[in-house]
Amino acid sequence: MGTIRVRFILVALVVSLFAVGMSAFLNYFKYKSTIGSIVKSRVLLVGRGIENSVQASLQVGMQFTEIGTLSQLLQREQSSDRLIRGIDVFDSAGQVIYSSDRARVGQKVPETWLRAAERAKKTEWSAEATEDYVAGISVRNAFNLAVGFLALRYAREEVDRAAASAGREILAASLTAFAGVAVLAPLALIIVIRRFERDLRTLEVAAGHLEDKSPAQQGPRGSAFDSAIGSLRTSLDEANKSLDDLRAKLDAAG
Amino acid sequence: MPPAEGVMLEKNYLWRVYWRLAGVIMLCVVLALAVVSYFSHRVFERELVPETEQKAATVASSVRALLLKATGYGVPFASLYGVEQTFREVIDENPEFSFAALTDTEGRVLFSRGDEPAGARDYFRRPAVIAVGLDPSASWRNEQVGKDYIVSLPIATDKPVGMLHIVIDGQFVENVLLEVMLDVLVVLVVSLFFTLELLNFMAGARLASGLGEFQHQVDRMRGGDFTATARIRANDEIGRMLRRIDAAIDHLNVRYEFLVGELDEKMRSAAGARREALKPAAGALEGIKQRLRFGSARKESDGDEMNLNRIRAPLFAFILAEELTRSFLPNYVNQLLVVIPGLSPQVVIGLPIMLFMLIVALGQPYLGSWSDRIGRRRAMLIGASIATVGFGATSVAVNLYDLLLWRSLCAIGYAMVFVAAQGYVLDRTGQHNRAQGFALFIGAIMVATVCGPSIGGILADNIGYRLSFAVSAAVAVISLIAIARLPSGEVRTQVSARPSRGPRMREITALLFNARFMTLTGLAAMPAKMILTGVCFYLVPLYIVSIGNTSAMAGRMLMVYAVMMVLIVPLSATLSDTSLRRDRYVSAGLIISGLSGLLLLLSDSFLVLFGVVFLLGLGQALSIAAQSALVAEHCQEEIRIYGHDAVYGVYRLLERLGNALGPLLASILVVFWGYQGAFVAISAVVLFCGLAFTVASRGFDVPEAQGAKT
Repeated sequence: MGTIRVRFILVALVVSLFAVGMSAFLNYFKYKSTIGSIVKSRVLLVGRGIENSVQASLQVGMQFTEIGTLSQLLQREQSSDRLIRGIDVFDSAGQVIYSSDRARVGQKVPETWLRAAERAKKTEWSAEATEDYVAGISVRNAFNLAVGFLALRYAREEVDRAAASAGREILAASLTAFAGVAVLAPLALIIVIRRFERDLRTLEVAAGHLEDKSPAQQGPRGSAFDSAIGSLRTSLDEANKSLDDLRAKLDAAG
Repeated sequence: MPPAEGVMLEKNYLWRVYWRLAGVIMLCVVLALAVVSYFSHRVFERELVPETEQKAATVASSVRALLLKATGYGVPFASLYGVEQTFREVIDENPEFSFAALTDTEGRVLFSRGDEPAGARDYFRRPAVIAVGLDPSASWRNEQVGKDYIVSLPIATDKPVGMLHIVIDGQFVENVLLEVMLDVLVVLVVSLFFTLELLNFMAGARLASGLGEFQHQVDRMRGGDFTATARIRANDEIGRMLRRIDAAIDHLNVRYEFLVGELDEKMRSAAGARREALKPAAGALEGIKQRLRFGSARKESDGDEMNLNRIRAPLFAFILAEELTRSFLPNYVNQLLVVIPGLSPQVVIGLPIMLFMLIVALGQPYLGSWSDRIGRRRAMLIGASIATVGFGATSVAVNLYDLLLWRSLCAIGYAMVFVAAQGYVLDRTGQHNRAQGFALFIGAIMVATVCGPSIGGILADNIGYRLSFAVSAAVAVISLIAIARLPSGEVRTQVSARPSRGPRMREITALLFNARFMTLTGLAAMPAKMILTGVCFYLVPLYIVSIGNTSAMAGRMLMVYAVMMVLIVPLSATLSDTSLRRDRYVSAGLIISGLSGLLLLLSDSFLVLFGVVFLLGLGQALSIAAQSALVAEHCQEEIRIYGHDAVYGVYRLLERLGNALGPLLASILVVFWGYQGAFVAISAVVLFCGLAFTVASRGFDVPEAQGAKT
């Protein structure tokens, strides 16, 4: 197989690998972000219900730190969805004041949660912990000031497992597609570059018989380089004729 | 001597071959992408539908709680108030839901909202569905009805009262995948450009130079030049073919040498009549010597085409590394923003871009002579290394302050590589192939601008800004490897051997006060660059994200601009050269660019923004080639006084300062008038400059054809 053909096939394989790889990458990340956002919005729905209860309490004049029934509500809501690992309500200093897990009350939430909550342009925010994803809602009072933050921790393994499973399938499909291209592209390229290769072969053969006089020895014609080869032959012929003339004159001189 | 007719076909011939190959490769790629998309669709549908049904059940539970609360206050189930409004909110907040309905225990619809799917009412009345509503222990049921999926939840107080149904739009998976499809389309376009680049890099450079050398050989022999070259040929089809031609020339040279030797020998030993008899032969040899040349060929510095082509790959990779960041850099800066007293956040976001452009503008004139001294390859290696460190460090930047430092490194590296690569082309081209050399240089940059922002945007959306910068660093490393493989020996042509220098302050000052020069530079070149960087590098990425879109979309927009440039610039360059009215192309380009942002006065829709970028690309493409040619055309007097290098040096310096001013101006305009206002205002400034240039350039003389070829 000619080196040029090998190079063209390599180009086809590299480009296909790039395109298929990018496509797999895009599909995988789209799946991951879509499933992530579906799960997050499901968790936030639970959060919205809790927020409504908190807002109702605030509207009747209760202090944010004195909503006695909130801990029970958090426990109840946590048990309503197996995905939710825990629900915390923390203040602007990051201290947990209510939680579905009593042991967490009084503890500090990670700094990243607080930063994510403060940076969010809307009331909803999200953060990541080692084992959990966190979906949060900023609880605002009537003056639109954040009085606290609601954080719902949910298992990242569910999202990650689903993404990994989909990722494996997308990878398998991509490898299959690439394998198909690896077989198909060289065949298609061989057909397409046949004429080009024939031209190069003709050129190569013709270049090897530049000094041959008879058309039979000069090799095949009909390539895109015929006129160039013709020009080379004419130039060589003329030079040889000049040297023949010199030879003849030398011989004549004896 | 002109090349033989039919021999000049190599370049077009090769491009025809490339396009055919690219077509086949694209076909294979499209097929592969179709396979991946089909299987991905299946995975999406299988996995996402149950999750969405679960979500619908949660939403339905929440609505049911509300309904039960209301019925708990004694409101009859069939007379509940605000149910449809609640359904509307549910559908608005969850675009994957298309319909919601409340039915009684017999499946009759009491309240509903949204697009009712065909067969829904029949489904509600099915005994199996009604049975779930009557079963106090049932949680929820789901079923596919037609293309849609229906989630039904029983509602019971002390007794069953009805059912709540939420319909999931069967098209929602397609809608999710539609966005992927847009990105896949971008990948396809980028793949096409990659294919052409790779064809050139992996095979084309060798083929083009081989066929070019073949043509050169044909021309030489037609001109009677049979001198032998002592080149090492590659062991491929072209190399073998050239070796055979070399062999034929060698035979001829051996024969010639033998005859010359024989004649010399005979002449030395001959005397009298014998010497007279040799005179015809000596005359023939003299005639041959006049018409033909034999012996060894001179080493040519002008025809280093193989090594010239080798600059394209490293340059493409390096520029790609920077272009990858275009679509998301302002948003990344936004994340690392710190409060700088007295400066608005919008201005602060523009600072890194402005600093980058300023360093490139001020550095380039002086880095030219530096790369002359230390060698092009070495200068490129140093520049790419500095930029690689810059990209890597940007990916782990702590805040705006260190980001500014890292982006400065990127700018220094960029300026070094750009100038050294330009010098590399200049070194390896003569008068006959300089335009071709710069076409190769600009081609690499243009392809990188098509591929970079779009792929960068996709990466940023999926793996985040920091990792995307890490990818840029990796691409810069690839460019480093490619630079290291460039020939280490320096080449100098007559033109490039002349030391280049930056413009002197005296020249800058004199030209700044020169009306003719400043008409062109101040009214055309600088505004064109200002709107380019202000709109494309600053406003578009920020505005698109601010209206809830993604960096990938910003990348697609910037791709539209780059594609316009790739398609229109060669055409407009040819037309403006032919018409000799380059000023008209500059005027038209500026006016079109100026009108682009005004479109946002009509609407702030996404399609209009597309139109803005499209028109901006068209305007810039029309004017960019004609602008620099106009300098030589209309500033001949200035060139005579200060020299070509000084005039062009000051022109490029001011043009690049326009690059730096763009983000600053845009950011200040955003502070006062918001994004849309900034688009409109910056365009209005350019429109004004365009009109002023049109009026001012009416006095310009149309040059004669001879002088027009710059």
